[in-house]
Amino acid sequence: MNEQIIWIVLKRLRTPFLVIIITFSITILGLVLIPGTDNNGNPYQMTFFDAFYFVTYMASTIGFGEAPYTFNYDQRIWVSLAIYFTVIGWFYGIGAIVSLIQDESLRKALNTNFFRNHVKRINKPFYIILGYNSITKSIIDRLNGKDHRVVVLDRDDKKIDELILENFYPDVPAFVGEATNQKMLKIAGIYQKNCVGIISLFENDMVNSKIATISKLLNKKLEIIVKATSQQQLEHFKSMDLKHVKNPFDIISKRIYYGITSPHIWLLEMWMYGHILKLKKRDHFPKGKYIIYGKGRMGKAIERGLEKANIEYVIKEFDSQKYIEEKSTTIFGDDEDIQSLLSLGVKESACIIAATKNDLLNLTILNKAKQLNPKIFTMARENALDDLNIFQASKINKIYIVEKILADATYNYIARPLADLFIQEVRKKNDEWAENIVHMLNDIAGMNPMYFETQFNDKNAYALTLKLQEEEKKITLADLKRSRTDRNQFLHIAYLLLKRGNEVYLMPDVHMNLKVGDELLIVSDEKNYNDFEYIINNIYELEYVLGLDNSKG
Amino acid sequence: MNMHKIMSGSFFILAMTVNFGFFYGDLTVLVEHSSYELFAAIIVNLIATVLKLGDRTQLGAVLLATSIVADIQLIASATVWAFAEYIMNNVGIGAVTAIISLSGGALLANIVSVILFIGDTLKSKR
Repeated sequence: MNEQIIWIVLKRLRTPFLVIIITFSITILGLVLIPGTDNNGNPYQMTFFDAFYFVTYMASTIGFGEAPYTFNYDQRIWVSLAIYFTVIGWFYGIGAIVSLIQDESLRKALNTNFFRNHVKRINKPFYIILGYNSITKSIIDRLNGKDHRVVVLDRDDKKIDELILENFYPDVPAFVGEATNQKMLKIAGIYQKNCVGIISLFENDMVNSKIATISKLLNKKLEIIVKATSQQQLEHFKSMDLKHVKNPFDIISKRIYYGITSPHIWLLEMWMYGHILKLKKRDHFPKGKYIIYGKGRMGKAIERGLEKANIEYVIKEFDSQKYIEEKSTTIFGDDEDIQSLLSLGVKESACIIAATKNDLLNLTILNKAKQLNPKIFTMARENALDDLNIFQASKINKIYIVEKILADATYNYIARPLADLFIQEVRKKNDEWAENIVHMLNDIAGMNPMYFETQFNDKNAYALTLKLQEEEKKITLADLKRSRTDRNQFLHIAYLLLKRGNEVYLMPDVHMNLKVGDELLIVSDEKNYNDFEYIINNIYELEYVLGLDNSKG
Repeated sequence: MNMHKIMSGSFFILAMTVNFGFFYGDLTVLVEHSSYELFAAIIVNLIATVLKLGDRTQLGAVLLATSIVADIQLIASATVWAFAEYIMNNVGIGAVTAIISLSGGALLANIVSVILFIGDTLKSKR
């Protein structure tokens, strides 16, 4: 209770309380002193209890009647005075107390306190998410749960109401507050030991940069995950020593580059984000001339990717807002537009990318292009997640949703660090290598393999850590691959990546000796991974698999 | 000079003196203890409590705490009295000692708050 307002309200409660106490006590005292008469006409002195009882219901206008005996005229004169005295005192007092309790600023202070305590009670590592929107919602959906919790700040109370209606489980403490306000960040738990990071993905780069600076100053250990869409901003963040800068346009640019030059590297990356592990026909980026419509941040990012991949392209300046103002329509495709498409060479081009800020324009541009050249490969930028269905219905070959890319990248960075690392390592290899890996994974675990991350510690691999600590015997990755029903058979699992401290082994050698603390990225299906977990956690299974126990057939 | 200081100071001391007036006398004889004095003690204590509401200082918090203790003790004492008189229909020796010793406890709380109050006054330079 260190909010100023609570003390002020308590202080303001003094007068109403005093009024009630004084009016009551004077009336009670009067009633006790004035002699009354009982039913038989004998003199009677009211006791304090009688008087207190009578005044309590008189003042609150409940009025059960005269008690314990009918009053005489001396008493009635006093009571008729006292009614005005106490009833007015009561209404004033109660009215003042109720209005103080309903005081807006007091409620706000109490809510702040509630939020602060809520955050304090979180005992899992948590992230502070600034701003609630469709991007952060999809991050919360996936992140909030077993390993991590989240706290949300948004300056718009409607957004907070929206979040409360979502009924997240475990619940997400959320509060209305300016994200750039230090005090709010403190209340949201930026100093707390289990606060691991802060996620700031605002549209406005300036806001992100301000938040990053403040958070860095407030808590040096914090992981700051921040969005930057321009090159200067990126460099500014790098100079601040922030490692986790997310630039969605940069991700798109790289995806286009890899998609064109080495589709299997692209496939491995997309698989980490939920794509199936198979190149479909429509996944192949065409070779040939590219047309980019719209020279905004997205257009430029694509341009960079194409340039790096050595692809011929034209980029057309296109201001969606100006277009809508001039032609007062969001339907692209009058004669002038067709002329412009033709002059860009739509008939000879292999691919057209609509990268304007308006979803409807993007759709109509691609439609028109498709009419002029039915074979053209189409790619669209989608700005708002809500329009997803329209885009899916309109047979576009590839859709880039900036928001989703950002959410996915952030989630993977936080919850699947090895997958993130894997993507980075794979990018250093060539396409041939990636193709081999894809075939190998398909052989082992089918077209849609799942991947799991684990670390060999007491919690995740009890038996294995025990064995690794107590015995001289070396345990290798190959040992763990054996089936627990028949150790001569092998499980359908593959090891993608092993991380030991700062060393990273891509496709680790199966004869490598394991150490406690190793982190492993494993590809498998649910059943085989379950078996694997059994083996590393159950000492009997482990001994059997290692061939130390011969009792089991 | 501060009107509020005078008010709250006098109510603190009044709470103690009135309470002492009720408490003083034979522990087992109720006639030596006036019910009017108990009533006055309760009212004065309640007022002293209210006057300390919202004082943010450390001393203010302690004073509020001691006077809440006194309130609870005195109201308990009055409740025992009413209970013995109207429900048991007999104020026996046991009830009398309970009534008076409860007020004695309240008196201790009052003394503590007066000592704190005096201490604070002596400490201040002006």
